[in-house]
Amino acid sequence: MSTAGPAGSIRRAVWRLRWVFLFAILAALPYMLSYSQQEIAVLLVINVLLVCSYRLLTLTGEWSLGHVVIMGVGAYASALLAKQFGIPVPLSMLLGGCMAAAIAALLSFPLFRMKGFYFLIGSFAAGEIIRLIWKRFTDPFGGPKGLKRIDPFPDIETGFLSIDFYEPVNYYFLSLVVVSVSLFILYRIERSRIGLTFHAIHWQDRLAESVGVDTFRYRTLAFVIASFFAGIAGGLYAHYVGAVNPTRFSVDQMVYVLVWAVVGGTTTFHGPILGVVVLTVINEIVLRALGLDTARPLIYGAILILSVLYLPHGLESLGPRLRTRWQLWRSGSAAGGRELA
Amino acid sequence: MNPSGERPILEARGLTRRFGGLVAVNNFSFSVHEGAIHGLIGPNGAGKTTTFNVISGFYAPTAGQVLFRGLDISGRKTSALAAMGLVRTFQGSTLFQEFSVLDNVRVGRHLGARAGFIGRLIGTDRLSERAADAKAMETLDFFGLQELAGEPVSNLPHGHQRMLGMAVALAAEPRVLLLDEPFTGMNPEETRRMMALVRRIRDRGVTIILVEHDMQAVMNLCDIITVMNFGALLVEGAPEMVRNDPAVIEAYLGSTDGAGHAS
Amino acid sequence: MDLLWQTAVNATYAASYMALIAVGLVMIFGVMGVINFAHGELYMVGAYCVVFLYAQETFPFLLAVAAGLVFVGFVGIFMERTMFRPLRDNPLGGLIASIGFLLILQTLAVFGFGRRMGHVPPSTQGKMEIFGAILTYQRLFVIVAAVLLLAALWAFLKRSKFGRALRACAQDAEAASLQGISMNQTARVAMFIGAALAGVAGALTAPLVNPTPYIGHSIIVTAFIIIIVGGVGSLEGAVIAAVIYAFVHTFVTTFFDGVIANIVGLALMLAVLVTRPTGLFGAKERA
Repeated sequence: MSTAGPAGSIRRAVWRLRWVFLFAILAALPYMLSYSQQEIAVLLVINVLLVCSYRLLTLTGEWSLGHVVIMGVGAYASALLAKQFGIPVPLSMLLGGCMAAAIAALLSFPLFRMKGFYFLIGSFAAGEIIRLIWKRFTDPFGGPKGLKRIDPFPDIETGFLSIDFYEPVNYYFLSLVVVSVSLFILYRIERSRIGLTFHAIHWQDRLAESVGVDTFRYRTLAFVIASFFAGIAGGLYAHYVGAVNPTRFSVDQMVYVLVWAVVGGTTTFHGPILGVVVLTVINEIVLRALGLDTARPLIYGAILILSVLYLPHGLESLGPRLRTRWQLWRSGSAAGGRELA
Repeated sequence: MNPSGERPILEARGLTRRFGGLVAVNNFSFSVHEGAIHGLIGPNGAGKTTTFNVISGFYAPTAGQVLFRGLDISGRKTSALAAMGLVRTFQGSTLFQEFSVLDNVRVGRHLGARAGFIGRLIGTDRLSERAADAKAMETLDFFGLQELAGEPVSNLPHGHQRMLGMAVALAAEPRVLLLDEPFTGMNPEETRRMMALVRRIRDRGVTIILVEHDMQAVMNLCDIITVMNFGALLVEGAPEMVRNDPAVIEAYLGSTDGAGHAS
Repeated sequence: MDLLWQTAVNATYAASYMALIAVGLVMIFGVMGVINFAHGELYMVGAYCVVFLYAQETFPFLLAVAAGLVFVGFVGIFMERTMFRPLRDNPLGGLIASIGFLLILQTLAVFGFGRRMGHVPPSTQGKMEIFGAILTYQRLFVIVAAVLLLAALWAFLKRSKFGRALRACAQDAEAASLQGISMNQTARVAMFIGAALAGVAGALTAPLVNPTPYIGHSIIVTAFIIIIVGGVGSLEGAVIAAVIYAFVHTFVTTFFDGVIANIVGLALMLAVLVTRPTGLFGAKERA
């Protein structure tokens, strides 16, 4: 869309430099926050990876209720590898992701014999079994109390540089790097033929199968990739908080992931990110300020119902809708209506 | 039945498929020769759709075998069959409705566009993808749909959607193409154009098997016709022979009063 | 031997309230095609009706149970009207909305009664001995009520005009509406019955379990296991599966422990899902 005038060229310049601006904001963000808000920001970054990895699984049309447990697999695996075998933490996180992926590969044999609702319930059952195993077996999983004093991410100490990852600001930047790289990979996967195939399986699995797409293999692939990144998110979580327990990965937590994904919308890559960011901000800033902490599940529930009823395509559909209105309003003038998506 | 003396490209031997107590296909055998347009017809409930689904790997046979180029393929997955060159189409407008026309055909190129996982991530699949896109455009060109490549499928009229369904299948470069009721719901003009297309696909060296209700189209198009009734073979032969066969006429008349026993 | 027999009696009690819950869930699924994730919370609301009316306001126990049944039934109608009806052609949406509703009910219970366990005194101290096994009257109540309610439901569905309408809607909503059956009306009644069954189960067992706002979680897991094992659309299957599951769970709990029993139950459900997705007693899959 060609635009004339200074307003248009400014907007184009902003668009070209959007990543620079985005990272500048993200880099400045922790310095504008209080200590406790910084801690929330760390968890938010980790949750972005969790919900984006969840979206990759939903591309094939299957909704799992076990994704948070898979995140837990990464968390437990990374924590145990570091605690019991002394494996350095960055490596243990990677292995935690691999462990989550391996468990997913194993689970795909029973689970992908099911579709739709049955897959949902099946993934729920499989996740609960894993969670109950953590709860039941004190050695090595620590039982209901879980694992404590998990090794922190090692400090970086060189002559002129010293980074202590106990500081939320530093862990924030660490998570930001890990999550950015992960999101870039997830994005590349979706934009490649693999993503096209995932979508194809979602809309017409029989037609995809008829031209040679092994739908079982591709569903498994989506599940394994999604689980790997959920596991990485789990590792980031475990070595930040320093403790994990079975309750932290229960279905209640899964509900939040579902809410983020549904409220944000899963059609676009940025939809779930929008969902988790907006809801976390509402939750932490607005609700906390109003002293409505106990009402949090109620408000989440109400938002979930209202968005299913009135915003079935999520927050992501709001932007284009508003933009259309805006353009109608400014009709004819130099509105640089380039696709932001 | 075998003018060239070659081995048939596709063969069913003693094919049987039961659903619970119902025998949909009962000890049915037939063979298809390379380069033929082979019709599979029969009154409602004769078992032709079930046969079609068993051949295309959607159901496993209860008994019997399906041989593709002499190899037993019974019970293999549909995707594995496609990789061997046996591709089916679907009734009606079974398409990726949310995709563009081009993306539909690009999915059809799944088998031809090979690349590793890492290659896809870092973009070294560019060459094979470009080749796949070119091939997809060429396929659209063959069906006269190249102008519509960027359109969403849902904007296409019904007749074009049917052709696109065939384009998706053809993009997979089949040796044998199984057409599931390609003329159903088409007007005479569309049927005529579709028949011409089917002949041109055959002329590119693709063997064609079609299940169809439209007798007129089948009679005009097919080289050989197999008629099923009650899950078994009734008659097989050239169109003019089948047309005048008293058993066939009786089977079709008998089914009009709703005596069909399965669907 | 004594322990075995006692465990069997305990399992019978568990089977009866589980059957009420599972049959309710199947009713809702059968007509609306929606899996009601808030079903465990409907049980919880029923239990809190007894906490409030019987334990706090000292109304008679049976009156409190009846009030629980009716109140939760109306909660069901409310859910149908506000969520499941607008989302009728979107089963995943209905499921997600019911998750939202679950959170709301939980929070309201916390507001009304606090997070801690509500204490409900037994309505009777009496007990009986059956060949050496102890059965308290409180548990006997549950068994008798479950048998009566399920028998009444069965008769109602088989005999009444509504029962036929319900089955027609469950099989083919479009065909049913062509025959002049009102989908809305049928859905409303099914939702009332389904929710009321969960509510009455909660009300009846409130003195035995001491409810918390979060009790619904274990209830819904149990209900899922039962309806999957029994076949998602089958009321009879749900009853049979409730009996099977109650016995398996009670015996494993008694002879191993509760967590192992939950793992066994979930594994049973996964096994059924893999080998026979239509359930052990559901309709056979047809081509």
